Amino acid sequence: MSIFKRIFSLGKAEANSALNKLEDPIKMTEQGIRDLKVDLDKALQSLAEIKALSIRARNDANTYQAKAKDYEKKAIALLQRVEKGEMESSEADRLAGEALNRKKENDSLMTQSKSDKEKFDSNIATMESKIKRLRQQISQYENELKTLKARVKVSTATKNINKQMAQIDSSSTVSLLERMKDKVAEEEALAESYGDIANESRSLDEEIDRALEDDSSSNDDLAALKAKMGLNKDS
Amino acid sequence: MSFFTNLFGGKKEEPNPFGRTPLDLDQGFIFEYDMQSWEVLAVYEYDWGNEDFSKEFKVSDGTTTYYLHVEEDDELEMSWSEKIPLKALEGNIAQQIEEKERPPETIVHDGKPYYLDEESAGYFHEKGTDEEAWTEFMVWDYYDKKEAFTISIEQWGPRSFEASHGKVLQNHEISDILPRKQ
Repeated sequence: MSIFKRIFSLGKAEANSALNKLEDPIKMTEQGIRDLKVDLDKALQSLAEIKALSIRARNDANTYQAKAKDYEKKAIALLQRVEKGEMESSEADRLAGEALNRKKENDSLMTQSKSDKEKFDSNIATMESKIKRLRQQISQYENELKTLKARVKVSTATKNINKQMAQIDSSSTVSLLERMKDKVAEEEALAESYGDIANESRSLDEEIDRALEDDSSSNDDLAALKAKMGLNKDS
Repeated sequence: MSFFTNLFGGKKEEPNPFGRTPLDLDQGFIFEYDMQSWEVLAVYEYDWGNEDFSKEFKVSDGTTTYYLHVEEDDELEMSWSEKIPLKALEGNIAQQIEEKERPPETIVHDGKPYYLDEESAGYFHEKGTDEEAWTEFMVWDYYDKKEAFTISIEQWGPRSFEASHGKVLQNHEISDILPRKQ
């Protein structure tokens, strides 16, 4: 294989691959169904044409039959006139013969029309069976499209869930929570230790001062009370 | 249909081969009724005023001619009728219309009574003819007791009357509507 042919094949493969990725299965199926409906409509129009021809052939056969009967009646009426002496025999024979010729022409046309109708009816039967198959095909694809749409919805939802699940790092979250728990415990221990240290580091002087502060305050209170009561005025 | 036709073909009306109803019938269309194929020979339009319209189709199976009347009044209403001579109705209908400006409340056809249901004035137009050519007329519609059969009496002029006898159709009775390009 030459280098150019290989490059061309590669380009073709890449183009096909790119187009394949662009194809939305739902949209493509919908378009396919639309195309089938266009085909069906054309087939229905053709069927209508043949049915119209069949109706006309039937109408023609009826018309030719009526005309043939009419010419026969006229031929009989002409011969009856001769019998009644109302008409020359030769003239009546000529006209009756002509009428019978016309009757024969119309009989022949009627036979032709009936034969045409049979042919059209046979074509109609063939077309109808093909159209029936096409209708079934469209219905089948329409049902499959519904299933396809449901499947796409399910797969999209599943894909999203799986994507979210995949993004969760459960082990790191658990270790983070554990770390946080330890940190709180550490903080609590630290606070307790500070409390102990604070109690232990009080000096004796501080105790005395505090005791004295408390006494003076209570002595003041006592003196104030005594003064209020008028006792120990000297003191 | 090719990719490029789809891409550049522009938006066309989509065919709806499964959704055609008798209201979609048009000249040349074919449909099935009573195991027979019928061709629409002419389309008649009726304007009853107040945006109320109906259609009538002159149809033939190659042997006989009938009239399919279609009206949408909440739901599809259809009747299948044929012209009958006015004298087929008992009594002197024409004279009564002339004298009293309306036919009797009850009329008899083939020994069966029909009761007046509706009196309407409308305009008639044959599709495909001059769009301005609408003819005014009066119609009296009668039904039998079961409302299965109908009689219509139309007045087109001072002494011009037409009568028709028909039956009420169910929607499913008209089927396989086939379109035809005119």
